Amino acid sequence: MELFGIFFSALLINNILLIRFIALCSFFGVSNKIDTSIGMSLAVIFVMTISSAVSWALFHFILAPLHLEFLRTATFILTIAALVQLEELYLKKMIPALYRAMGIYLPLITTNCAILAVAFLAIDYRFNFQQAMVYSIGVSLGYSLAIVLFAFIRERMALAPIPKWFEGYPIAFITAALMSLAFLGFTGMFGL
Amino acid sequence: MVILISILVLGLIGFIFAALLGLAAGYFKIEEDPRLATILAILPGSNCGACGSAGCHDFAEKLIKGEVLVSGCLAGGEEVAHKLAQVMGTEGLVIHKRLATIHCGANEKVRTKRSNYSGIGTCAAANLIDDGGLNCKYGCLGYGDCFCACPFDAIRMVDGLPVIDPEKCTACGKCVVACPRAIISLRPYANPVWVACNSRDPGPVVRKICPVGCIACKICEKLVPEVFKVTNNLAVMDYTKTGINCDPAIEKCPTKCILKL
Repeated sequence: MELFGIFFSALLINNILLIRFIALCSFFGVSNKIDTSIGMSLAVIFVMTISSAVSWALFHFILAPLHLEFLRTATFILTIAALVQLEELYLKKMIPALYRAMGIYLPLITTNCAILAVAFLAIDYRFNFQQAMVYSIGVSLGYSLAIVLFAFIRERMALAPIPKWFEGYPIAFITAALMSLAFLGFTGMFGL
Repeated sequence: MVILISILVLGLIGFIFAALLGLAAGYFKIEEDPRLATILAILPGSNCGACGSAGCHDFAEKLIKGEVLVSGCLAGGEEVAHKLAQVMGTEGLVIHKRLATIHCGANEKVRTKRSNYSGIGTCAAANLIDDGGLNCKYGCLGYGDCFCACPFDAIRMVDGLPVIDPEKCTACGKCVVACPRAIISLRPYANPVWVACNSRDPGPVVRKICPVGCIACKICEKLVPEVFKVTNNLAVMDYTKTGINCDPAIEKCPTKCILKL
């Protein structure tokens, strides 16, 4: 039940894009087309899960025993960058189809703040390993949900008669704000 | 002391990751055909997909495997095919360059309308509703779907009618697919003459609604029978026959719907 609560809190109630406003650059950058947003979502789910697992282990087995908690920013950035490189090498050799499907998004994710944020939050919330995994899967699915929904809306908007001064990013920001309001409606569900 | 430990720990973590990456780079090494990079450099790189492969990289891989021919890159045309032939060692092929052709000559000023269309501004959408308001159900709608589809900037819209730039056009065929009325086709570059009409309406109907449409008078067929043939109320050219003088037909065509570059 607790894991269920963590999962839905990460997915909907504290949606990383629409409620926490983290990783907004990719939210606006790659939501022009549904295809690209799905590619980005897949890459985020993949990288976020693995990197939060490794950074959790690093923090609890290396940094915490040595009382070096203040080093976590540097360590996590190092970890994520190296991990993405490793994953890229592995995918290129073993699953070239998936590698090509993710394309440019995999290296792009190295600098995505959502990945770092999840690694931090999992530690700030004092999650154990199981909880941290459920949390990061929830967050990455929440990211996918928000960006794919947004891409659907933006594809519709490309054909809609929008006033000249709202075309492009202004209307995208207004839409994002309205989606954010809609997601606020989840607050208080499951007693969270 | 703390500073020393932190430097040590961070350095160690960094070193471990570096070592891991180094090992992985060796372990996951992929043997790439050395010709792949050369072929990719020759290909246009616009990933237009006209060859039927999923982008230039896919085409290059298939070419090395021998699944496609050097002439398969439509966008690159003759020049690319010859260069590819050099890389692949299959020189001596003759490849004919082709060109997109607009089979309609009626611009905005000449088109007659029976209603005003004010929906979504694409040909595909306009074609669905009352023929986009045009009297002619075969001619150009003028919303520029082909213009938007062209990856090589070879189409200009002049008075609501697409005009092909013969030098920029690579005959990739994107516009042929984009046009909902199938007005565009590909003809050999060596042939400068084309029929700028697509209407299968009978002559009297065309005469009423379009001043530049083919009325199927068969004059061209009589003057240059080798090339022209009137079928389904439309003059059809055999574009593969080049080097035949079509000037008499162009001059005598009463509606001037046979054009020359």
